[in-house]
Amino acid sequence: MAHARNTVAYRRTVSIVAVLVVLAVWEIAPRVGAIDPAYTSQPSKVIAAGIQIVRSGGLLEDISVSLAEFAAGFALAIIVGVPLGLLLGTFRVLRYLLDPPIMAIYATPHLALLPILVVWLGIGMQSKIAVVFVGGVIPIVVNSIAGVREVESSWIAAARSLCAREWDVFAKVILPASLPAVVLGIRLGLSRAVLGVVVAEMFQSQAGIGNRIMRYGSEFRTDYLLFYVLLVSVFSFTATWSVRALEDKLWTSGK
Amino acid sequence: MEQPERSTSLAHVRVEDLTVAYEKPKQAGTFTAISRMNLDVARGTFVTIVGPSGCGKSSLLMAVAGLVKPAGGRVLVNGQPVTGPGRERAMVFQDFALMPWRTVLDNVRFGLELQRWTGEDLTARARRYVDLVGLTGFEHYHPHQLSGGMKQRVGIARALAVDPEILLLDEPFGALDAQTRDQMGTELLAIWERSRKTALFVTHGIDEAILLGDRVVVMASKPGRIVETMQVELPRPRTLEMMDSDRYVAYRRRIRACLAGEQREERATIPRY
Repeated sequence: MAHARNTVAYRRTVSIVAVLVVLAVWEIAPRVGAIDPAYTSQPSKVIAAGIQIVRSGGLLEDISVSLAEFAAGFALAIIVGVPLGLLLGTFRVLRYLLDPPIMAIYATPHLALLPILVVWLGIGMQSKIAVVFVGGVIPIVVNSIAGVREVESSWIAAARSLCAREWDVFAKVILPASLPAVVLGIRLGLSRAVLGVVVAEMFQSQAGIGNRIMRYGSEFRTDYLLFYVLLVSVFSFTATWSVRALEDKLWTSGK
Repeated sequence: MEQPERSTSLAHVRVEDLTVAYEKPKQAGTFTAISRMNLDVARGTFVTIVGPSGCGKSSLLMAVAGLVKPAGGRVLVNGQPVTGPGRERAMVFQDFALMPWRTVLDNVRFGLELQRWTGEDLTARARRYVDLVGLTGFEHYHPHQLSGGMKQRVGIARALAVDPEILLLDEPFGALDAQTRDQMGTELLAIWERSRKTALFVTHGIDEAILLGDRVVVMASKPGRIVETMQVELPRPRTLEMMDSDRYVAYRRRIRACLAGEQREERATIPRY
């Protein structure tokens, strides 16, 4: 029946079947000699590698290094980006002043800044934190500015007509009204920040998930490599999904 | 002893030689919305302002609200020049201007919070005004869950909750369908008759202007100015049936003639090539 094809259950089933088919092809193709397992590995080998990595220890250390760099850089991006964006959205002069540099950084692939950040900050955690920060902060700033600028002028007029002070206008109108855009900025910044930490570790580091991916890549250990990639995907997906859930909540109460 | 005549002889709202101008967006020069307007509004009267779009009637209200700064002249409320919004004035907006992230109850609380009302539980007071506009049971709804009429009830409750002396209504029912508009008008009058606050009500509907107002001010555009003011001698409470009375029809004809006359003049001034 045609209408049954639009149900959630139907969509889920199709998605799950698609994933299973890919996994099956991935598992079977190297076994029958259709592709070289050295290039693609296999789901079973990736799982086996994962078990090995967990058993041998050291995984927690890599995770904690990467997570610490990510958390520090991204927290900094939020702490700096949200107030900066709200300020720039509110005050035209500041926007005129800072728009060119922000747009320049926005247009630059933030990973291209990695070498200079390493020159400035060394190959330790600081340069990773900086890359995460630069990657994450720009979408947060740009979206926060847009959030403020799209606040309905009638909401502000209503607040003013009821004797709102400048601070009240900000705290009770501009801030809550731009919150969904701010959270959207955080979600968009998130994937750039994850990318930042992984790539930074690939090139200049002694530890971390990115470092493992690079090392196993150079050793042709695709099963190990893919396990770490999987870790990053799961983290990125979960984090993005959580922020999106928060966004949905803001929008349903806010539209 | 204070002289009581002083406060009664004073206009509650006085518009004195008022000019309102805006900077034209994206080009040099200004646009004059209102030019040298004078108007007195007595305490406790319901004055409606009717005119075509662009005649500056909303600008007049914004100036009285203290939301735009006059380019010339001034507005006096209780004899005091208006320099900004004040607690004795509250406004109802055409597009409702409700905060979408706030519930009905919290929207009505909004002004009370801003004005830091004390000595009374704000939620309890907000609830009373939600009840006054007939929205009991919808306290925890968000604006997007309400019809246009219900949204404007919230807007009216928000304005009334801060207990203003003067209610400024900027085409409050302009975004509603005709049937809802009539009903809201009747309900607004019922609420108004209990408090008899001074009301300035801007509309482009001639019927609405006559049916609600003690006095109708007719405006024309380019530049925005008053072309006629008219006392409405219909008894209160007003009913929709009054629209069939001879007197009502006469008022209607007169206002239409004013508006049409202005339009003819305007057409005549269009340069021909």
